[in-house]
Amino acid sequence: MDRIIKVHNLNYRYPDGTVGLKDVNFEVVAGETMVIIGANGTGKSTLFMNLMGVLDGTGRIEINGIVLNRSNLKEIRRGMGMVFQSPDDQLFCPTVMDDVSFGPANLGWSSEGIITASQKALLLVGLEGYGARTSYHLSFGEKKRAAIATILSMNPNILLLDEPTSGLDPRSTSKFVNILYTLKAQGKTLLIVTHDIFLAQEVADRVLVFSEEKRPIAVGGYKEILADTELLLKNNLVHQHRHRHDALIHEHEHRHGYLHEH
Amino acid sequence: MRVIAILMITTNRLVENLDPRAKIVSFLAIILCIILTPITRYKDFELYFLLILSLTFFSETTVGQIFKRTCVLIPFILAMALFVPFLKEGQVWGYLNVGYWKFAVTYEGAWMFLNVMVKSGLSILLFVLASSTTTFPDFLKGLDMLRAPRLLIMLTSFMYRYIFVLIEEARRLIRARDMRYFGRRYKEQFLVVGYMVGGLFIRTFERAERIYSAMVLRGFSGEIPCVKRFRLSYKDFLFTAAIFILLTGIVSGLIYKIGCIKIPDARVWIGL
Repeated sequence: MDRIIKVHNLNYRYPDGTVGLKDVNFEVVAGETMVIIGANGTGKSTLFMNLMGVLDGTGRIEINGIVLNRSNLKEIRRGMGMVFQSPDDQLFCPTVMDDVSFGPANLGWSSEGIITASQKALLLVGLEGYGARTSYHLSFGEKKRAAIATILSMNPNILLLDEPTSGLDPRSTSKFVNILYTLKAQGKTLLIVTHDIFLAQEVADRVLVFSEEKRPIAVGGYKEILADTELLLKNNLVHQHRHRHDALIHEHEHRHGYLHEH
Repeated sequence: MRVIAILMITTNRLVENLDPRAKIVSFLAIILCIILTPITRYKDFELYFLLILSLTFFSETTVGQIFKRTCVLIPFILAMALFVPFLKEGQVWGYLNVGYWKFAVTYEGAWMFLNVMVKSGLSILLFVLASSTTTFPDFLKGLDMLRAPRLLIMLTSFMYRYIFVLIEEARRLIRARDMRYFGRRYKEQFLVVGYMVGGLFIRTFERAERIYSAMVLRGFSGEIPCVKRFRLSYKDFLFTAAIFILLTGIVSGLIYKIGCIKIPDARVWIGL
């Protein structure tokens, strides 16, 4: 199997000395969807920033067979795109079309190529005809989809998605999951950071669990990981809570969106 | 009738459908001519006004809408120009008595007031027409294609994109304060406002860092490449040429002279 991402002994400390990542080791196979789950502040987003070369941790990161360093950042970023958690950070141009065409234009494509790729990306996320719209006037769900289109227009083979479904209503989440299915079918490698167990269950091939010690604590198939209640409880991904079924009030661990038996 | 109907349909959105470059160049030329024309040539200003009015007829915007929007901006100009007749030194024209005070109005001041009001009024009319017929992103794109400084365009574009986000964040902060403020300890409120401004600044700064990261990750290296989406057509060239010819006619006094030619039984023509 072709390993497209290899992370070996990655460590990162913030300028104030806070540990961001500690001894991170994992590999991602080409074409697979790996969902990285963990509680808030466990270093998931920091990991993405390190993979993209925005933050400079120690250790070895290999992407598409190239060892990441300062000199080859552009080459790495040509093949890998990241969608930020807040779409307002991702959409900085006056119109949606300007935003979607920003990446391809920077890659030096021809005008026709840029427009074709941008329209294709907008079509894929269901935003055809939104090109002339101002990003500010879009709904949150539309903004999220536009944000993913800004990366898809560059046609990367690896996509890093930071909390893609946070703040979305069920219908928008469902639309987003459909987009992820399409991308999976296209053979893209997806790395998704989330604490949405439902999303992990829906799209993951493998799940990587980050612990509060800022390092991966478990990795495996989604069924195996999501069935390990003790692991999820320990890492603050499920919690005990009380709830009511008519007259019956009972307590059990709760997984948001995840089906449970009574 | 059919020809007139077709003509009406094709010219109805003429200004809207023009390339932003053609509009920027033409409108800028009109504004320059307005500013550089001496106020004593008042007939020229009538012609400028007629020109702007006729441009409005070739757009979807109505004259009423244009005047309404202009009226919103005029008070700002009036506030600035109001003191000019009293402050400008020169030959006294008359006096204005306000209570115990007596203010002298000079001829030079009155002319300057008229100068400011007429020129800025016409410029605002044109500005309102331009903003009603061109979207801001298209206007920026036009400026970029006319090789205006990229840095300036980038800053303006970011301002346009994020000003509403900032206003929204400021509103959220004010709302959060209002929900927990019950109208006491007035002096402390200045401190609270200071905290809010500081908080807003930090949020803006952090957002700017994230935006910059998002740009860098998509290949940004200091320049925003321009994707050409506009193409100059014969209509744009015709429009620009027509404006320049008309302006030359007005500035040289040719149009005024033509208007003064006496042709027997041509009353409408003479009336112009």
